[in-house]
Amino acid sequence: VSLQAELAQLLAEVTGHPELAELPPDVSLFGGEAGLDSLAGTMLLRQVHRRYGVDVAAEDLNLDALADLGTLAAFIEARR
Amino acid sequence: VIKCVIWDIDNTLLDGVYLESPEQPPPPDPELLAVLRELSGRGILHALASRNPPEAARYVGAVTGTRFAAAECGWESKATAVRRISAELSLAPDALAFVDDDMIERAEVAAALPEVLVLTPEDAAESPAWPDFSPPVVTAEASRRADMYAARQRRQAEAATFGGSRDEFLRRAGTRIAIGRAEPADVPRLRELSVRTHQLNSGAPPLAEAELAALIADPARLVATVGLTDSYGDDGIVGCSVMERNGACSWPVPVLMMSCRALGRGVLDALLGWLCRAAAAAGGTALTVPCLVTDRNVPMRLALAAAGLRAAPGAVDAGGRAQFSRSLDGPLPAVPDWLSGWDGAQ
Repeated sequence: VSLQAELAQLLAEVTGHPELAELPPDVSLFGGEAGLDSLAGTMLLRQVHRRYGVDVAAEDLNLDALADLGTLAAFIEARR
Repeated sequence: VIKCVIWDIDNTLLDGVYLESPEQPPPPDPELLAVLRELSGRGILHALASRNPPEAARYVGAVTGTRFAAAECGWESKATAVRRISAELSLAPDALAFVDDDMIERAEVAAALPEVLVLTPEDAAESPAWPDFSPPVVTAEASRRADMYAARQRRQAEAATFGGSRDEFLRRAGTRIAIGRAEPADVPRLRELSVRTHQLNSGAPPLAEAELAALIADPARLVATVGLTDSYGDDGIVGCSVMERNGACSWPVPVLMMSCRALGRGVLDALLGWLCRAAAAAGGTALTVPCLVTDRNVPMRLALAAAGLRAAPGAVDAGGRAQFSRSLDGPLPAVPDWLSGWDGAQ
């Protein structure tokens, strides 16, 4: 399973929307289809920290890594 | 009826963080210590769920003089810990309460186990007066709070099984966000928000009642209150912002705070959209939110990012603050059509 697919699975878990497990890597996480809000976003970042040991919130002031699943996967890949 | 209360340790049962001073760990929170004893006296069990080594549980047991029926210490999610305790004690989730100072931990447990009664330490301090914890005597005040938590439980349970998007759920729930111009009568509630909110607070120091009253009276500032209600219940004022009028320049927002009751209901996003619109309508060209950068208020930074505000990379000042800003040219962040009230005009 690719990192992007694992992240999509995490996204589906934290939002409670199973269909997001199929979210394409270039769809914006904020607003629109994925509808990541600050609650789900924080839960996602905690899961990422737990699972991959990468603390996105501490390293990315503007949280641009959360633009989409592709940028998040690249951010994690570059640090683990 | 609650049969077991599952407690977090750091900044909940202990008045501080265990691992920050393992040689001499912090003392128990006196108010919650009294609650532990009172509930024990009524035959209610206690358990621990903590991201700490097992020694922390032994320490808490000794220092509170409480026998904990179960203790889950480790690095897994609190939802996993609560599930294990539920299995170990053979208690259904609806017989459990979970107390944690961290709203994200609370949200995780509430999402994974909607039947569990999820409480802040402040809620827990009042819990001995609630019917769930004490069948006989109930005050009017306590029953109002209990109604609010019951409403929250119903909302969470229905949101969890609702098939559509979050916004579709908010619409179906009859969500209404009302922006109001703050009045002197709002001061005590705003003071409470200023002291009690952390994770959805941009980090202004707590404001005294006199300071809040002066801000409200100052024509150079827009002080907005945010009311939240839906068909499950009325949460009253859940948020507040202070914005400074600044002509055709960037309008600063030195105070931005929201109760965790509003979490997951799009209220902070709506307020940020409203602030952009109010500033733009009066000629402002940009919006700037000075925000403390800590691991506590990540939810606030996420809301700022979602509303398109950015800080210069690495631009955190000596006080730990960064200036998050966005232009008000072009399309502004959306506001839901269930937001209404003051437009920010003088």
